[in-house]
Amino acid sequence: MNSIRGLDTYRLLIRNQWRTMRRSTRSGHNLFMWIVLGVMVAYATFTLFVLGFFFDRFSIILFPSEEPVLVVNKFLLAGFLSLFFIRFLFQKTPRMILSPYLHLPIKKRHLVAFFQASSLLTIHNIYPLLFFIPFWMRFVRPEHTVISSSLWLASILLLMGASHYGNLVLRSLLARRAAWFYPLMALLVVVAIVDETSGQGLTSTISAYMFAQILSEGALSFGLICGVFFILAAWSSIMLMRTLRKPLASSSGATTKRTKFRVPARYGITGQLLHLEILLMWRNRRPRHYLFLSLMFSTMYLVVMMASERVYGGAIFDGLIGLFASGGLALNYGQLMFSWDSRHFDGILARNITFKQVVHAKLLLLQLSCLVLFVISLPLFLWFKPELLVVHFAFLFYNAGITTILVMELASRNLSPVDISQSGSFFNYEGFSAKHWLWFIPTALPPTLFMIAVQDNLIVGLVFLSSIGLVSLLATDMWTNYFANALTRRKYIMAEGFRKHAR
Amino acid sequence: MRVELTDILKRYGKTTALNVPKWTLDEGEIVGLVGSNGAGKTTFLRLVLDLLQPDYGEITLDGQPVSKSVDWKVRTGSYLDESFLMGFLTISEYLQFTGSIYGFQNGTTERALESFASFLPPRTGDDGNKLIRELSSGNSKKVGIVAAMFIRPGLLILDEPFASLDPPSQIRLKRCLLTLARESGTTMIISSHDLGHVTEVCSRITVLDEGHIVKNEKTSSATLSELQTYFSS
Repeated sequence: MNSIRGLDTYRLLIRNQWRTMRRSTRSGHNLFMWIVLGVMVAYATFTLFVLGFFFDRFSIILFPSEEPVLVVNKFLLAGFLSLFFIRFLFQKTPRMILSPYLHLPIKKRHLVAFFQASSLLTIHNIYPLLFFIPFWMRFVRPEHTVISSSLWLASILLLMGASHYGNLVLRSLLARRAAWFYPLMALLVVVAIVDETSGQGLTSTISAYMFAQILSEGALSFGLICGVFFILAAWSSIMLMRTLRKPLASSSGATTKRTKFRVPARYGITGQLLHLEILLMWRNRRPRHYLFLSLMFSTMYLVVMMASERVYGGAIFDGLIGLFASGGLALNYGQLMFSWDSRHFDGILARNITFKQVVHAKLLLLQLSCLVLFVISLPLFLWFKPELLVVHFAFLFYNAGITTILVMELASRNLSPVDISQSGSFFNYEGFSAKHWLWFIPTALPPTLFMIAVQDNLIVGLVFLSSIGLVSLLATDMWTNYFANALTRRKYIMAEGFRKHAR
Repeated sequence: MRVELTDILKRYGKTTALNVPKWTLDEGEIVGLVGSNGAGKTTFLRLVLDLLQPDYGEITLDGQPVSKSVDWKVRTGSYLDESFLMGFLTISEYLQFTGSIYGFQNGTTERALESFASFLPPRTGDDGNKLIRELSSGNSKKVGIVAAMFIRPGLLILDEPFASLDPPSQIRLKRCLLTLARESGTTMIISSHDLGHVTEVCSRITVLDEGHIVKNEKTSSATLSELQTYFSS
């Protein structure tokens, strides 16, 4: 018996991938969500297109004496580094399940080739083109020869591909050695700070030089970009091939942590449920990363925000600093609550636990996380920006009282399961839907807008902000009942959604 | 605990998953739920545990509608599938947690578990340090079944408990179930594809076919051969 031919393999895989796509988008959102998303996509498309096509009108404001192409060339490398970072945080690793094909007479290299090609179908490979294509048509092509302008455009496409495959490589590496993430992040932050504060602008100098050379048909820079692209594409293919031979299941004993401590019985069911949630967070890879991500927001990220010069939008920055410094865990981990429990949700429903007890424990955890992160980030405020201490303090109450409630409102509507123990890649936004991104608007926007509105009378504003937080905090019992009733109403639909993980 | 289903109808789209006009289970009875794949056994159990909402009808436990009260939960033990387990806990942690939510103190939980020790996977040494998700499917199932039994519930609900257990464990489980019924008077609903085990343990057999009850009879010496004839026809 022979393996099926390459062309037949690709036809089979395309058909199955198409079915997966159709069936996941058809059930995911309601009409309202589609309309909101449609408007947002149309707006973003229009903005990028206008920015690209009329770039001269924007660049003349910030760089009046420079040509638009030279301005863009200067920021290309930094732009693609940012794109790489955005991909790392937000790009989904294509959820094509390869394992059902592994025992079939299909060549592994065909599977890898298909996976690598289909992974390019992501929005992060589309929106940059909405800027670059009109920009190229209007400013690059008319001013340069066919060859040089084509090389410039090809370089852009290759760099996009390089950031795409580089991201897959990084995720694969981190999936094997998760601990590398933290020193890598620290290194990145240090390099960014040094480049920014030294005033050398090393990235923009290299970028401007490379793309100027490409426009004068210089082979070296173009060859370098080609090399980077092919190395990263080949590297990610090799890593994927290895994954197929040795599955990435993280259920081996080596990756699980054991923390042995018991909650005394006197703390009652709330204590037991809190203990359970902490163990869930610590012993499962995906929620554990959310924990570390929140710690990063409250430490390294905070240092960058507080150290940077804020010429524009100081009040917005202050609001964001206040929001994330103590509310990081509530915002990150909290929004997927109940989805974290998806694998054992039926067990919770059938057991002698009430929703009131569950909600009480979860709210308490989020409120306590605000206090813990407040204490952890306090020395940074004292060191870098003592004048923001008052903001930090006011937002402690706001986050504990209001942010936690807004996050719980979102979490109590979660219907998608999250496989907490078997994460195949580092940031795989399983369990997320459009509503999680949209919910960021009512959660983050009001306090930051409020900070702008009260910037001339900051203390009064902060007293108000902390007061509503405190009032809401004192009304925890009322909120507990509210969410318990909501969950009682929604429990069947949530359980049905969560059961999908078993199918 | 008395279980009563009245005019129950559950549909998935246009397919009728379960249609039960009337079904009762008296206190202390052990009923075996048998039927082919997709006959509606798991839907039946999920409805009794209020994990699914019927399109029509009512289910009561000791006269209380399951959807309107949670009091029955304290007297009910159940294990349907791995979604009843918490994979990130060790066996001991999971059993202690289960005990605590049913009001057992740590020492009481250990004493209550003694009767089921021979059925449980080892909890000492390296095995005791394993998380439930690292156990084999048979061993993790044993943990779930014991967690449902050791609280000595008034009603015990198990979905295919004999499947994926090794033969000695199947025999031990039968003994545990019969002992529990004798000592605590536990009412039980046990779904199974193993006609031999289910006729040995259960005092009544309910046969489901495409969501309908087609047989509901007391177990007798002829039940096993009748069921074998029914399913082979």
